[in-house]
Order: sequence, then C-alpha cells, then structure tokens
Amino acid sequence: MKIGLVLAKAPGYSETFLRSKIQGLQQSGHSVVLFSRFEADDFTDCPVILLPKQYRNIVKQMGMFLWACLGLVPHFKSVSSFVGLERQDGESWVRILKRLYSYAPILKTDVDWLHFGFGTLAIGAENLAAAQKAKMAVSFRGFDIGIYPIKHPNCYLRLWNKVTKIHVISDDVTKLVYAHGFKGQAPIVKITPAINTDFFSAAHPAEFTSPIKMLSVARLHWKKGLDYTLEALSQLKQEGLRFEYRIIGAGPEEEALKFASHQLGLQDQVLFMGQLDSGQVKRELENAHIYLQYSVQEGFCNAVLEAQAMGLLCLVSDAEGLAENVLNGQTGWVVARRQPELLALKIKQVMAMTKIDQQKIKDQAMLRVKRSFAIEKQQEAFVKFYQE
Amino acid sequence: MTKALKIAIYSGEIPSTTFIERLITGITTTGTHVILFGAFRSKPKYNSRVKVVVYRATRLSKFWHLFRFGLLLTLFKPKEKKRLDTFLKQRPTSDLYDKVKYYPVLWYHPDVFHIQWAKGLDDWMWVKEFGIKLVLSLRGAHINYSPIANVEVASMYKRNFPKVDAFHAVSEAIAIEATKYGGKMESIQVIKSGLRLDEFTFKLREFKSNASLNILSIGRDHWIKNYRVALDAIFRLRERGIPFFYTIVGVSENEALIFQRKQLGLENEVHFLDTLAFNEVRDAIQQADVLFLPSLKEGIANVVLEAMALGTLVVSTDCGGMAEVVIPNETGFLVPNRDAQAMTNALMEVAQLSLMDYQNLTSNARLFVEQHHNEDHMVAQMQLLYDGVISRTL
Repeated sequence: MKIGLVLAKAPGYSETFLRSKIQGLQQSGHSVVLFSRFEADDFTDCPVILLPKQYRNIVKQMGMFLWACLGLVPHFKSVSSFVGLERQDGESWVRILKRLYSYAPILKTDVDWLHFGFGTLAIGAENLAAAQKAKMAVSFRGFDIGIYPIKHPNCYLRLWNKVTKIHVISDDVTKLVYAHGFKGQAPIVKITPAINTDFFSAAHPAEFTSPIKMLSVARLHWKKGLDYTLEALSQLKQEGLRFEYRIIGAGPEEEALKFASHQLGLQDQVLFMGQLDSGQVKRELENAHIYLQYSVQEGFCNAVLEAQAMGLLCLVSDAEGLAENVLNGQTGWVVARRQPELLALKIKQVMAMTKIDQQKIKDQAMLRVKRSFAIEKQQEAFVKFYQE
Repeated sequence: MTKALKIAIYSGEIPSTTFIERLITGITTTGTHVILFGAFRSKPKYNSRVKVVVYRATRLSKFWHLFRFGLLLTLFKPKEKKRLDTFLKQRPTSDLYDKVKYYPVLWYHPDVFHIQWAKGLDDWMWVKEFGIKLVLSLRGAHINYSPIANVEVASMYKRNFPKVDAFHAVSEAIAIEATKYGGKMESIQVIKSGLRLDEFTFKLREFKSNASLNILSIGRDHWIKNYRVALDAIFRLRERGIPFFYTIVGVSENEALIFQRKQLGLENEVHFLDTLAFNEVRDAIQQADVLFLPSLKEGIANVVLEAMALGTLVVSTDCGGMAEVVIPNETGFLVPNRDAQAMTNALMEVAQLSLMDYQNLTSNARLFVEQHHNEDHMVAQMQLLYDGVISRTL
C-alpha cells in the first residue's frame, strides 16, 4: 500500500510521533511519500515531494503555472476528475486553477491513501484523493479543530462528506469534530500520541528539595496559558514559597511573557530556556520536581507524557485532551483552566502531600505511559488504521 | 529679531499618530518651523511653517531622494557629507537606506532633532556630531516594555540616554522609568498629552443605575492592552448577574480573544470591532457608559483622556501614568493591575452608581482634563523644552 502524507513541513528530529508513524508503516511493508510546503534539513525517513511556492512576481507565477500544467498532461484522468468534482462543488475556475497549481505534485503521484496530517491542510484539497481514486484520511490534533474553526466557521463542512476516515488524538477532539458540523459520515479512530518510553524514563526521579523546581515545555504561544501559570506562581511567591520555574520553548509570546515575569516580580524565579533538543529536555526533566501544563487549549500534549514518564508530578489544565493525558488524582492533577488561584492552591496541596503519596502518583503515571503511550502501540494502531 | 527655530519632528512615517500630528500643527503656532522627514503613507496637509521632506516606500522614490540630497551635499556641503559617510562606514551595519534617511537631515540641518520613538535612537545619535540637539520623546512600548523584554534595547538605551540633550516624558511614571537607563532627571521634562477640547464636547450622560452596562475598550491589537484578563473579568461580571454589553474596538482579527470569547460562552455579550476612524471612536465613546482600560502598562492613554473629556466614566488599571489622571472616587475608578476580580468589582460598582454620582465623577473628569490636558498648555511646554535645549538652560 502506498500512503501519501500531507504536512506543512517534514517532521523535525524531535517530532517522534510523526517519524515513528512513518517508520512503523514502512516496517509493515507499506511505502510512504511525504508532501509538504517546506523542507526539513535532517529528514530522510521517506521521499519528500515539495508543493509549489506562490510567487509575488506575476510573470514568474504564470511561468511556473504553465510549467505545472505541462507536467500534469500525462495525468489527464486525475486532473479531469478533480476539475469535475470541484465544479460539482460550485468552485470557481480561478480557484480550481490555483488548486491545480498548488496540488500538482499530489495529482501526479499515485497513492492508495492520502492522509492530511492536520485538518487545516485538507481545506481546499477535499477532492484530491477522490480524483486519484484514493482514500482520504485527515488527522485532527488540537489547533485545527479547537481554534481554527472558531475564526473560520463551517470550514470543514465540505470535508465531512469527502473524508474516508478521521484520526483524532483524544476523545475531546472527537467531540469538537462533531461540534463543528460532522454528522458521522465517516469512521473516527482515536490514536493518541506516543513517546519513546525507553528514552524518557528516569531511574530515580528528583526528590523534593528547596527551592522546588518546576518546569514547562511549551511553545511561547497564548494557547499554552503560560500567563496564567505565571500569575499562579506570583501568588505562591507572595505566600513565601521558594521555587524556580523553567520554561523550555520559544514563540511569539516571548516579549509578553518576559514582561509578565518582570511585572509580577518573578525575574529571579523564572528562567526562559529557549528551544532545547530532546537530550537537553530530558536533562531538565531529570532535575525538576513538578511539571506544569496549564494550557487554555491543547490537543493532547506529548510533553506531558514525557514528564509523566520521567516521574514528575504533573499538574495540567482541563483543556481538551489534557484530562485524558493525566488522570486526575491518579497520575497527576487536572485543574480548571483560566483560574490561576486554583492552580496555585493545587501546587500547594501537592507539595503538602507525603512522599509516599507523591511516589504513588509518580509510579502510576510512569506505568500508564509505558503501557498506553509507547511508540510500538501507536505504530500498530496506524497500520490497522489503513488496513481496516 | 531672533531667527525662528527649526525643529525636526521625526516619527519615521507621515502622517504619524494623532498625538504627534497635534504637536506638529500646534508647535508652528508659536512661530517655530517644523521639518518632517521620512516615508509618507498619504499626502500630508500642513500649514506653510511645516516643511515636508519625504519619499514614498518605492525603490524609485528612495533612489531619487538619495540622488537629490547626495548631489546637493556634494555640491554645497562636501565636508559634512564626507564626515557623515566616514561615520557610516565605521558602523557595523550600514546600508544605502541609511543615506536615504540621513542625507536630507544633514542638508536641512535642523536646530533640534526630536525623535518620537526611542527604539530608533541609535540610528540618530550621529546628529549630535553636527551640532544638532537631540530630543527624545518617551512614550508607550518603547520605554514601557521593550527594554524589559529585550536586553539589547536596554543596553542601547543605557549607552545613549546619557548623551540625549533632553527628554519629553508623557507621564511622571515614564520619567522615572527613563532614569533606569541613565536618563538624567534634570534633562527630563514631563509634558502630558493635550487634547483640542473644542473637538471633544462634554455631555452629561443620562446614566441609569442597575440597567445594562455599555462597556467599551479601544486600543491596538497588542498583548499590552491585556484584553485577556478583561474578558476573564467580564465573564465574572456575567456570573454575578450584571447585565452588560462589552465592545472592544481594534481586535476583530485577534485569534486568542475570539477563542477566549467562545470558550467563556460570551458571544452574545462581547463584540469585537475593527479599528475605527477618529469621529467613529468619539461616537462610540459617547454611546458607552464606561471606558474600560485593562492595560498592563501605559504612558497616559489618550483614549482615557478623550473619554474623560466627553463625559464617559473611566475604569482603568493602575498602570504606568494612569493614576496621574484617574483619581479614585474623583475622576474615575482605578483597579490593581492584572486583577480580574478587582476589575469585575469596579464594573459592578459602576453599574450601581446613582445618576448624580455618575455625573459628578464625569464632571470632575472633564474639569481635570481642561486643567491639565489641553493642547495649548502642551504646545507651550514643548516650546519651552525646545527653547531650553537651544539655550542650554535645560
């Protein structure tokens, strides 16, 4: 079976979830080809076909368009089918021509499955798979179903009638799919993210010492709720708690968060570590006691899985998939989102627990991640996904 | 007869913000000549005392600008041109675009070069080498948070602030902030924003106690405005059973806020609008019961002064210089920064005000603006600042 995977960018070294999926499919005898807009320097796991760029220079754009059209001549059948389906959907000729240019490499490649790695990537590409007589799969992971459709209502209505199978990473994402107009037209399969549990495992998780070391691994983006986290920590500081909080990640909210840290008087407690590789992340996890992921929106979050696997006490918000990722009171704690006072209270309660009770939570979390979120399990699930 | 002063008011773009445009037109009424340098977005209209030396944001226009002033300097001021060129060569980063910006300034040689945005200071320190006095306005992001979030900006300020001839700070709080980067207190003059009060007619509002509260926020789409906490506060207001309608102007495309509104189920009560024209902003303020400023940091927000002038009650966070105008129980409501609960409480208190209390507060606010924030006063103080710099008394 040949599977065409559509992503915005080839997965980077640390994106275990996608890389292991590709490797698992190959090991099961399938071939995988990746379509993406941007290249990743170190990606060699499967062939990568780049989708054409858009040019500002009209002459150059016209030239590239004509070149793309020439390349499509031997694939007249797929092109004609695509155009017919688009016309049936009432699309304008201009839009169809734009799409023919943008997706020409996909129309030229024979695949059995065309799998869009994020829902947003399938918008405008709903007829590509059918034009090639292939099956169409779409993954929904968080932003694409939790945030994007709020600003772009009904953006998936066309997709629901075209997709063969939907992959979601949590039950909450399933609910969101239904909330945005899905009426059960295709099967939904939940395959949660997975981590390399051999790599992320700690023989001796760090014991509580003062100051308490807290950690988050998160892109500096508003959806990660880091501003609420800082407000909670500010309350704890005012109550005299000694702690250090490290944030691993970079992103557009850096200025806002550094300012918040300054304004809340947390300059000496909060360290912005920037982006780190997985080896460095592991070392930071080894040295931390508490992991915080107080997001306002989250598909599932691999970083929380890694923190649990490393034996950290994890406190997360109840945003979408996080409450499935961490079982409240069993493998960590789930706190209502956007309420920093509740997060501060929960941190204090966790710190007041006996070592035995804390260890029990850590053990349960480590065991659950190893049993339920190992890469091998995910690989099997994806092989089944395409076969059934 | 003394020669009229030649002041370059530099913001990089023409026309500039409302406040800077007010300064440009106001300062010429004192007989001073103003020169504007930079790129222009639309055709400016000024009086005869304003000289506009601008280029369009096209390669051809920039090239013509460079050619014209390069030639004039070569023919009539060759020594100065050579000095500037040598200086530019010594800079670690310098390109042709620098010459597009600098040559006209060297040619016209103003008495004072007044920079409006502090982050551009490093680009203009060279003017001092040519006997041009350097004045820097301290306002908004450039002093309030950029040097906090960016160590390079902070070190640039520390390097250059001690050499600036004079600072104009829009609030006392900002003046104090500038001293942290080496600005000398004796060279900082606090000149608060002034309004043309004839454009802001005061009206006593027919406010109804315990009726649905019409709340308005206006500001650019930026995290410093802290609309995230404002929505949390508004959510709590609804939980407390207070009827309201909340409009935020300027954030219609903000993904985080659109998401938050949905997540908090506030779609029926909260509306986001695109930016509005000056007259539309004035109308919106006049229709609102409360102008709500939830910002994390401000100089003195112009929109608050405008609301006070128009007769709309202000609820503001105690940030930056806001406490200098919003005086609790006198001219408005002041709440602690970043405190959603305090914001909710203040809005609840406003909803329950009697008509008399509401009108007393708004009348006081108007009087305050008339006394401390009229444009004539601001312009006179700016003129004094320029005169002081020239006579070296400042």
